[in-house]
Amino acid sequence: MNFWLELAIKLVVAAGIIPVVGMVIGFAEMKLSAKMQSRMGPYFAGGRWGWAQLIADGVKFFQKEDLIPADADRPVFKWAPALVLASTVAILVPIPFGPQVVGRNLDLGIFYALAVSSLSTIGVLMAGWSSANKYSLIGGLRAAGQLIAYELPLVLAVVGVVILAGTMSLNGIVEAQASWFSERGWQFGLPFVIVQFIGFGIFMIATLAELSRIPFDMPIAESELVMGYVTEYSGFRFLFFFLAEFANMFSLSAIAATLFLGGYWVPGLSQPQLNFVGPIVLFAKIGVLVFAMIWFRWTFPRFREDQLQAIAWKWLIPLSLANILATGLLKVVV
Amino acid sequence: MTTRLSADQDLVRHLSEVSVSVELQTPDMTLNIGPQHPSTHGVLRLVATVDGERAFNVQPVIGYMHRGYEKLAEVRTYPQITTLVNRIDWVSGYANEVPFIIAAERLLGVEVPERAQFIRLILTEMARIASHLVFNASYPLELGAATPLFFALRERERVLDLLESVTGGRFHPNFNRIGGVKPAQGAGSATRKVIQDLPRGFLAETRAAMDKVLSTVNELEALVAGNEIILARTKGIGLIPPETAAAYGMSGPNLRASGVGFDLRKVSDYLPYTQFDFRVPTGANGDCWDRWWVRLEETRQSASIIQQAIDSIPSGPLLAKVPKIIKIPKGEIYVRAENPKGEMGYYLVSDGGLGPYRLKIRSASFSNLSILPWILEGALIPDIIAIMGSLDFVLGDVDR
Amino acid sequence: MTASPSDTAATSVEGLAAALSDAVGGSYEVAHGTAKVRVEKERWVESLRAARDDFGLIFFSWLSAVDWSNQVEVGDALTETVEERYEVVAAVADISTGLIVLLSTDLDKANPRLASLVGVYAGANWHEREAHEMFGIEFDGHPQLIKLYLPEGFLGHPLRKSYPLLSREVKPWPGKVDVEGMPGQADEDEPSTENPEA
Repeated sequence: MNFWLELAIKLVVAAGIIPVVGMVIGFAEMKLSAKMQSRMGPYFAGGRWGWAQLIADGVKFFQKEDLIPADADRPVFKWAPALVLASTVAILVPIPFGPQVVGRNLDLGIFYALAVSSLSTIGVLMAGWSSANKYSLIGGLRAAGQLIAYELPLVLAVVGVVILAGTMSLNGIVEAQASWFSERGWQFGLPFVIVQFIGFGIFMIATLAELSRIPFDMPIAESELVMGYVTEYSGFRFLFFFLAEFANMFSLSAIAATLFLGGYWVPGLSQPQLNFVGPIVLFAKIGVLVFAMIWFRWTFPRFREDQLQAIAWKWLIPLSLANILATGLLKVVV
Repeated sequence: MTTRLSADQDLVRHLSEVSVSVELQTPDMTLNIGPQHPSTHGVLRLVATVDGERAFNVQPVIGYMHRGYEKLAEVRTYPQITTLVNRIDWVSGYANEVPFIIAAERLLGVEVPERAQFIRLILTEMARIASHLVFNASYPLELGAATPLFFALRERERVLDLLESVTGGRFHPNFNRIGGVKPAQGAGSATRKVIQDLPRGFLAETRAAMDKVLSTVNELEALVAGNEIILARTKGIGLIPPETAAAYGMSGPNLRASGVGFDLRKVSDYLPYTQFDFRVPTGANGDCWDRWWVRLEETRQSASIIQQAIDSIPSGPLLAKVPKIIKIPKGEIYVRAENPKGEMGYYLVSDGGLGPYRLKIRSASFSNLSILPWILEGALIPDIIAIMGSLDFVLGDVDR
Repeated sequence: MTASPSDTAATSVEGLAAALSDAVGGSYEVAHGTAKVRVEKERWVESLRAARDDFGLIFFSWLSAVDWSNQVEVGDALTETVEERYEVVAAVADISTGLIVLLSTDLDKANPRLASLVGVYAGANWHEREAHEMFGIEFDGHPQLIKLYLPEGFLGHPLRKSYPLLSREVKPWPGKVDVEGMPGQADEDEPSTENPEA
């Protein structure tokens, strides 16, 4: 296909997927949390099912007044949500939804994805600083500390997978999982979660921390800091943060599903078929992970900042280093 | 020339005086927590000087809900004061009326019928269950766990519906009368006054509801007590030794969490508690976890007391014979009761008139809150929320 | 009739009040189960220290005041004339047996000063602040005697009998009739301030 046409299609898809995915996951969160709390959730918007609730919320946010605090640093304030959302969209580029359905099959796929995901830290700091509000500042600083602390376990957990797969390209990692036993002629492959369960656990915990979701939502800490670094945002800027959180859930779960659960691949299907079925498979796997995240959010309380840091520095990093060592040894030996 | 030399000398002296300090001198920040804040249980303002995440010199600013009840009581008649008084601690409405009514009755010299006393006891314990369920569920919410709140409030609705069915009000019952409780007057004809006792089925339904309350308490315990994060956030935080608690006048479950097994229901006879078999739960350390856990156990004990009371309630009139216009003879009395939040007392000075000369209201949350500057010294900001929440105060109770 | 707990409590409370008043050179009276020990103003702190240390009354319940005045702006006047004074009342208790004793002292209306109890009971801090802003009593030695409830610019001391209640100034107490008629309709009874008869 024409390069420019392909690029245009991909851009449209990327621009469209974020709001849609954000709304779907947001709706799922509302309904699931309601069921867990023995209540109904959204009910009136859109039949008796409430599916239009988030659309209505989106419209509501858009038509609100654009309030910027008088003391705020205007350009920084305006660009912070854009940066957070941009990093979310950028993560989707190397993720393969099918053998040929991918934004760009980068050699350094996972490296690029992790690097870009840490851009959101800057966005959070910008939001906290520019809001001219002590609560926001405290939230922003907590967020910076937390996000930096959990970058390391996130990255180190992935190294084990890269060692096993032998490549950093996400397509290559899925291929490695699919064809793990192919020299013995076995049809089914090996999702890396089975051998890398420690890495998977660390990655999921670090993901929760990167997303600032409970139990790691000290930066937002609703009952303490009102809304943390997002306090002063209203209207469509708040919508950006709101959507970015759900979209980021999607992006990071997509990476986790690709690295650990086998991505778009299911046993028994040929390559052309996977081009069509692959996205559905990947969405299903992402759905499981997102459900787990929602479940954790409504079950656990939040950690205190120093406990959070202690977990990252004293537990997750040594554990992930041990994981890398073990993986390397086993790869050579076995 | 000389200036250049002296400038150099100044520079040298300055360099020699500079010492490399490891600590970065950062200015302290003054942080206002409240009065509009999701976690302050009402309009409470804390002015804290914050250095990083630690707070020093936390000063509570109260008075946003001060309604002047003590002054208002001086222009009310005794029956009217009941309506004022059950708005003090609005979470457990019925329990506020009881010590005041008992004070008035003792000064008047009126003997309250047994059945009325039992009814007062049942309703007070239901108020206690309502108050403790709210606390036990909203405390995890302050720490971030949102789900226990919904389970507990669902059960609390059952208790409040029962309260409403008999008194007419969920939070402000106005059910006490001087001499007993209100005998419901049925919609009889104009010629025949029908005096009803409690609504039919109320006692049986309450007894059944207590089983559900016990199962909710078990659910809450399973959801919260097994959670390591909650234990990490509350164990060892906010330790209050019993002597400090007593010096500040902390009472009720807060005092019992510090290990003091003192319960006014066991030592004082304002209501017939001595007939019932119940434990007084105490905590081991006096930290936030103990304060949460003691109230959970007390809910269980309250449910058990209610069931025992319903099983053994005597029959009889609901209201003693008192004159239509109540004038309480001259005298002074102080009556205190074990309210859900702590010890509530009324110091009533009467001069023989229709209303009191002076009514001093001793509210539990006022004394409970006064310990905040002492206990929050040097606490981390998330711990401020955890400690403040665990004291279970209500601003109406603090400010009156 | 068997001795009810209130009788036993009264005897123990009476014993406690008698012993305490002997120790501090005051007088006591027990009525309706409430024991009150009157001490002199100069021996106020010493009496409470004795209550805490010698009698084990470590629980500080409350401290407040009563304004004994013959002329009142609010409510009914006293039936008998009394000596005009502020009576400061403090309640301290024991947390094992549940005995509670009120201690009181009388202050001059012209110059109401009293020594602060903050050194003896830490909890007296807020109660004294409240008594200060409500009655105008000065507590010597209190670390921070500023307003507790009332906003900064508030003038006057509300719980004094000489301080009127604004809502009663605007509309006098209607007496027997408590219910207003519909707008435009005259009230059935004229509002009266006479005491209704039984």
